[in-house]
Amino acid sequence: MELEAHGAPADTMAASPVVFQRTHHLDLLWTFVRTDFKTRYHGTIGGFLWALVKPFAMFVVLLWVFSFLFDADGQYRLRLIIGLFLFDFFAESTKAGITSLHAKGYLVSKARFPSWIAVVSSLANAVITLGIFVVAITVFRTATAGAAPAVSLALFLFYLLMFLLIVTGFSLAASVVFLRYRDLNQVWEVVVQAGFFVAPVVYPLDIIPERYHAFLYAWPPTAVIEFSRSVLIAEAIPSGRAHLLLAVEALAALALGIAVFRRYAPTAAERL
Amino acid sequence: MAVVEARDLVKRFRVPAVRRDTVREHALDLFRRRPAETFTVLDGISFAVQCGETIGIMGRNGSGKSTLLKILSGIYQPDRGQVITRAPLTPILELGVGWNPELDAVDNVCLLGVVMGMSLAEVRAATDDILAFAALERFANMKLRHFSSGMAARLAYSVAFTAVRDVLVLDEVFAVGDAGFKARCEQRYRDLRAAGHTVILVSHDPRIISTYCPRALLLENGRVVADGPGADVASTYLAMLT
Repeated sequence: MELEAHGAPADTMAASPVVFQRTHHLDLLWTFVRTDFKTRYHGTIGGFLWALVKPFAMFVVLLWVFSFLFDADGQYRLRLIIGLFLFDFFAESTKAGITSLHAKGYLVSKARFPSWIAVVSSLANAVITLGIFVVAITVFRTATAGAAPAVSLALFLFYLLMFLLIVTGFSLAASVVFLRYRDLNQVWEVVVQAGFFVAPVVYPLDIIPERYHAFLYAWPPTAVIEFSRSVLIAEAIPSGRAHLLLAVEALAALALGIAVFRRYAPTAAERL
Repeated sequence: MAVVEARDLVKRFRVPAVRRDTVREHALDLFRRRPAETFTVLDGISFAVQCGETIGIMGRNGSGKSTLLKILSGIYQPDRGQVITRAPLTPILELGVGWNPELDAVDNVCLLGVVMGMSLAEVRAATDDILAFAALERFANMKLRHFSSGMAARLAYSVAFTAVRDVLVLDEVFAVGDAGFKARCEQRYRDLRAAGHTVILVSHDPRIISTYCPRALLLENGRVVADGPGADVASTYLAMLT
């Protein structure tokens, strides 16, 4: 019985780590998430609660401010809030994902464990913020315009799931590439800043000539933001082809991320 | 039956004259040659460790001991050859393990224990014993950044001794802590051996190798130059140094 064989040219990532059973993966994920939160929110008023209060407070503040600025156009106000929260999720989660493996370098270089869990756990803070936003926007939508149809909510959650797959794929790949290019996070910050204006966060997509829409949709946040607005505000369901393209994009991003991670993660400890 | 087998392990490190670690550096030096020197750290290492056996590894600094342990533990990958492991393996390397300095001792024990393969329930149940073994009960809620290196190392070994499954890989374990801690380590080590655990032990100390290792390897320039009883290998090592 061979518990594990590793070495060149064998594919070491195909084998499970020596000390690990699959049942431990959840324990490891939970421990990373819990200790990351403890480190992040230690010393803050409210501690862990801050992670829950912050996105909700942000939602209320944005709603209040935009109520003054865009009093006449309630839809634009909601469209803007949806765009801002979804783009913020993309920016925060990808930034955390890029440096996730490096941040756990003190463990990666000393022990063998499924390092992809370190990458996935780094997305927890952004996912919790997104979860609070989903609750807030759903409650607000129900209070102001009546409950959204179940199919709209289901599709909204589907878009968020696809978004999460894209972000996970990116983070897996970027976390190992970052070990070779240590300024990748700074380059990515510039890309994200520029990308804020590529995605239709503050402007309606209609003001851009339609022949350019395909390019804008190549930027992942665009489709998720536009589709979410469509089902939550206009209650219009995008076409089946649009859904298929989003799903293909998400699965391709995840597959590519896994492939890059499997290729470079075995040598991660040597680059720390 | 061999629980760990190293087959013809080769490991080389390529060290460039000028490191390029950023996108900017790669872009600026895109067409510039990168002179680099290649060091062969392990050069065809083969051996097998039987179930319940304790094997010592000796060698001068730079002989490849730490790289070999990291490859056996799956932290580094060999450029050639293969490691076969038939039992779970718990490594503790380079005088300690990684800590999060912003977390207290209890949270770090939890983090490290789970990383080493324990379940959360097992770690929680063993936390008091782990702190007691390291004689750090009073510092349970102190952040690791306030610990001395010796205290941190004691805690690391204490976790590893608790987390050990079948095979324990130790790097200079008996070089840590005061006389009391060393005595507890040696006792725990004897208990593990008596319980049938397999141990791979790196040490520069001929006494440790002679006392605890019925068999030892001597590494020199990435090769096994001696494989025999611990006392004989320790003597060869001492002769090599003089």
